[in-house]
Amino acid sequence: MDTILDVRNLTVSFRTSGGTLKAVRDISFELERGKTLAIVGESGSGKSVTSKAILGILAGNSIIEGGEILYDGKDLLKISEEEMCTIRGNRISMIFQDPLSSLNPIVKIGRQITEAMLLKDRGNRQSAKKEFNRVLALIRENSSAALGAESSAKVQQLVKTFNDFNVEGTKMETAYNEARAVAETLISSAEDFLFLASKNQKLDIKGTLQTMGKKLGSVKNEFLTWGYDEQITALSRELFTARGKTPGKASEVPTPVVDAVRKMDELLRSICSAPKPDFFRIGYYKLKNPDADLHSMSIEQLNEEALAFLDSSFMLDFLEMEQRGAEYSFRTALERKKAVISELGAARETFRNGEIRRGSAKKAAAAAADLVEKSIDRMEIIKDSQAYTFRTALNDAIDRYCDAVKKNPKEEARFERQSRKRERLIARGKTVDWKVVPKVVYDLDDLRENIISCFDRLIAHYEEYIAAADSVDFRERSVGIIDYLKEKASQMVYRVTRAMAKEKAIELMEEVGIPEPRIRYNQYPFEFSGGMRQRIVIAIALAANPDILICDEPTTALDVTIQAQILELINSLKAQRNLSVIFITHDLGVVANMADDIAVMYAGKIIEYGTADDIFYDPRHPYTWALLSSMPDLDTKEKLEAIPGTPPNMIYPPEGDAFAPRNKYALQIDFEQQPPPFRVSPTHWAATWLLHPDAPHVDPPKIIVDRIERMTKKAGGEI
Amino acid sequence: MSASDKEILLRVENLCQYFKSGSYENKAVDNVSFDIRKGEVFGLVGESGCGKTTTGRSIIKIYDITSGSIYFKGQRICAGTRSYRDAIKAARKELRSGADGERRKELEASISANREEIRKAKYDHKNADRLYAEKQVALVKEKYAKLLAESPNDAELKRRYKDELRVAKNTKLITQIQMIFQDPIASLDPRMTVREIISEGLVINGIRDREYIDEKVYEILKMVGLVREHAGRYPHEFSGGQRQRIGIARSVIMHPDLLIADEPISALDVSIQAQVINLMNELRDQLGLTILFIAHDLSVVKYFSDRIGVMYYGNMVEMADSDELFAHPMHPYTRSLLSAIPLPDPHSEKRRVRITYNALAAHDYSTDKPSFREIIPGHFVHCNDAEEAAYREEFGL
Repeated sequence: MDTILDVRNLTVSFRTSGGTLKAVRDISFELERGKTLAIVGESGSGKSVTSKAILGILAGNSIIEGGEILYDGKDLLKISEEEMCTIRGNRISMIFQDPLSSLNPIVKIGRQITEAMLLKDRGNRQSAKKEFNRVLALIRENSSAALGAESSAKVQQLVKTFNDFNVEGTKMETAYNEARAVAETLISSAEDFLFLASKNQKLDIKGTLQTMGKKLGSVKNEFLTWGYDEQITALSRELFTARGKTPGKASEVPTPVVDAVRKMDELLRSICSAPKPDFFRIGYYKLKNPDADLHSMSIEQLNEEALAFLDSSFMLDFLEMEQRGAEYSFRTALERKKAVISELGAARETFRNGEIRRGSAKKAAAAAADLVEKSIDRMEIIKDSQAYTFRTALNDAIDRYCDAVKKNPKEEARFERQSRKRERLIARGKTVDWKVVPKVVYDLDDLRENIISCFDRLIAHYEEYIAAADSVDFRERSVGIIDYLKEKASQMVYRVTRAMAKEKAIELMEEVGIPEPRIRYNQYPFEFSGGMRQRIVIAIALAANPDILICDEPTTALDVTIQAQILELINSLKAQRNLSVIFITHDLGVVANMADDIAVMYAGKIIEYGTADDIFYDPRHPYTWALLSSMPDLDTKEKLEAIPGTPPNMIYPPEGDAFAPRNKYALQIDFEQQPPPFRVSPTHWAATWLLHPDAPHVDPPKIIVDRIERMTKKAGGEI
Repeated sequence: MSASDKEILLRVENLCQYFKSGSYENKAVDNVSFDIRKGEVFGLVGESGCGKTTTGRSIIKIYDITSGSIYFKGQRICAGTRSYRDAIKAARKELRSGADGERRKELEASISANREEIRKAKYDHKNADRLYAEKQVALVKEKYAKLLAESPNDAELKRRYKDELRVAKNTKLITQIQMIFQDPIASLDPRMTVREIISEGLVINGIRDREYIDEKVYEILKMVGLVREHAGRYPHEFSGGQRQRIGIARSVIMHPDLLIADEPISALDVSIQAQVINLMNELRDQLGLTILFIAHDLSVVKYFSDRIGVMYYGNMVEMADSDELFAHPMHPYTRSLLSAIPLPDPHSEKRRVRITYNALAAHDYSTDKPSFREIIPGHFVHCNDAEEAAYREEFGL
């Protein structure tokens, strides 16, 4: 399974008037592609802060104390706002808790759904173009290096041809797409027209027919209306005559008009449902045979023909060359990696033993990072996050160390000063109603360890990489690169017009289960019920086709029936689009149906982590027990086990296990020392001293034991 | 069934509550009837907008009801006149269209009877509290008449008599129904201290003895799990769960017989929800409260209530003992509701089949009109003849 998002040692605090509030304390988790991770906890446990950190929308008074969020070769905590903008909403989307406050009340639903598509359109095309050129340049460079100086000219030639016919193909594709967009608009307006006509609504018949007739002319495209041209001309004539025969003040739409519009709708539908020509192939075919009569074949035949032609005269050569290039790039990078490991080891030793001063340390770090960056295989499509983020991570760790060296004595002095003042006042018999703000002193050894672990992690990662080097399939890899290039090329020319955005939005609205999307498209948020509003929010989140969907309590404001519908919807969308979902909630009942993995959070830490079965059938942490036993299910009769007290004030985080004061199973050590995570099974761990081999044996509360027994019985031993 | 022997505390008969919005009339609650017996917890469930909160608010007279009657302790406290007026209108129309002989007499009699009903309803609706206060005053007078006759010069006794008389005059029947609101933040006045919030009801009732009030407030605070020191603080200094405790304290200080709890836990955190449910359970045992529990979380309603009524679009569609309802749900809406409850059991969740309910597709009420019928003793369903027969067959009756 490949990891799509990797959160490591994330620590977030908030500056408040009372001191720094530690909202998230050193949490790590991985999100796998196509899986759902649920984060469960009470309010104030830091679950929302985590999701906001991933999206880079933390409040202004937040301090990111440490950690990394690795996504697509980037550390989301350290990239610039501009770069974040290309990810937020585009690659990672979020559904917020309150569907009313996350929609703009004075903008129509349709506009809100299409807004992002239209805004991001230009940027998407530009970045696709940049990416296309970058990869092509890499192929040229690596292949000429691999094949030697004598074949350099041939490589140049191949890459140039590839670029040329791609341009040719994409040009045709653009024209095709534009014509198709017009056709789709026409279909949608025809449908609107027919719908309203069937309801006997007032219509501007003449005007509509005129615009339809005009637009129908621009549907004509070499590939789209392949063989339909005459029918279209006839149809536009029919529309024109129907318009002429319509009386000035018609109370209802005359039948010939309805017939003509219906005919147009059907014709355009059959046009649009025809197979799409593969412009990538046809571009090459046309480039090489400028005089060929494309229309002598059907589109399927053309696709076949072009493919055969492309393969025989170009693609195999290109693929061969590219594969050599990829192999060369991989091998050089591998050699460099092997070399860099020892360099990194040496650098690590200097950091471990020597004194760390900002200037010299930065220099050494830059040198190491330069080496690491040279050792990256840039022709890999799935980026190696570890190596790409090495420089920022290392610099960040050094900064933290140097800042702490500077600030620690100051902080000590301030604490001394304030405590002395307080004692002095108390000694004088005055009532002191303020507390000394606790000191925030960083452990220098820990920070140094952080720097060293940057090296450690990368070295371990590289060793793994080198060990797996023999099993790389370059054939597959080079085909992957071509697919990637094709995808980028089509993104490059995919211009989203308003009409296309509307069609896409209506499609999305249908997908999320909104009835009559054509009418709903033009309504305002207040005309929707709560469940429908939440569906709109989901449609907006999906509009950009994201990789990751973060749901922050999406059903808390909704009823049971609607809640079940929304959860089913998210589940089915996840399966359809291979989405990865982070699902945040305080209700364990909701999670049972959704989650593959569950992380239970309390006071800014993950205290138990496991698969859904682990958490529900074999919970280990007393807090998980408490959460499970504090809610009744349908068979609960006994008194509920309420959790006494309230969560701790995170300005003064407790010394040991944060849950200890509310925990009736707490051991003495829970108040003194933070429990480390104890593994229960390969997928399941919990941070509680009760799992220590020396701890006394404690049974979970009766209410849970009973429930698990009941559930196992119901499942009939399948668990 | 022992509960059925108990005295009926609240009886809701054909309650209708319509709201006008423009020319359109929104039937928030339409012809709902149920009884609540002393000491039981009656749960009201349904999706948002189905009228369950409106029912609660109508009972406590926040709205003037459109039609129907509500009896509390045998006394009619709310009455609407719409149904009588509609009957009069219908009769008049028939008269105008030319009914004669026996029919004419009948219609005239019905008009005058309905007129009488309207007069009575208006009187009851307006004077229920006054009548109750008069009764209380009479009781106090009777109690003190003897004492005062024995020792006419006892100043202390006179003062007490005066105090009690004032309280009795101010007493309203409706204060014996109290309500806990959904949102613990919005329902507490931010400018009042907790002491003022909790004691407000007592003060309005005419009690002026500060010490007595303080004593009461401390006692109630202790009962709901807060401490004395909290009395001087303001609501914003408390967490959500504590605020809900304050709301509960405010409602139980009047020693109500009936408590209307309108989604008291849906705005709270999971761990706090259990605290509040346990607290309400304890109070119920200690004070012998009767509770109308309005919620949409079915697991909680099942856990907490003795009987449950299911509402859908202003109608009560099913009503039964909670175990019975969950064991044999009859109405398709109830079935769909029960099938949507999330459970903390991944195994059964992944196999869950959700039943969808479409009111138009599920019933054919074009000729055979539905009504609220008792299928099994204590189990009522909104259905028509054909459906009733089907239910009976299904459960082998």
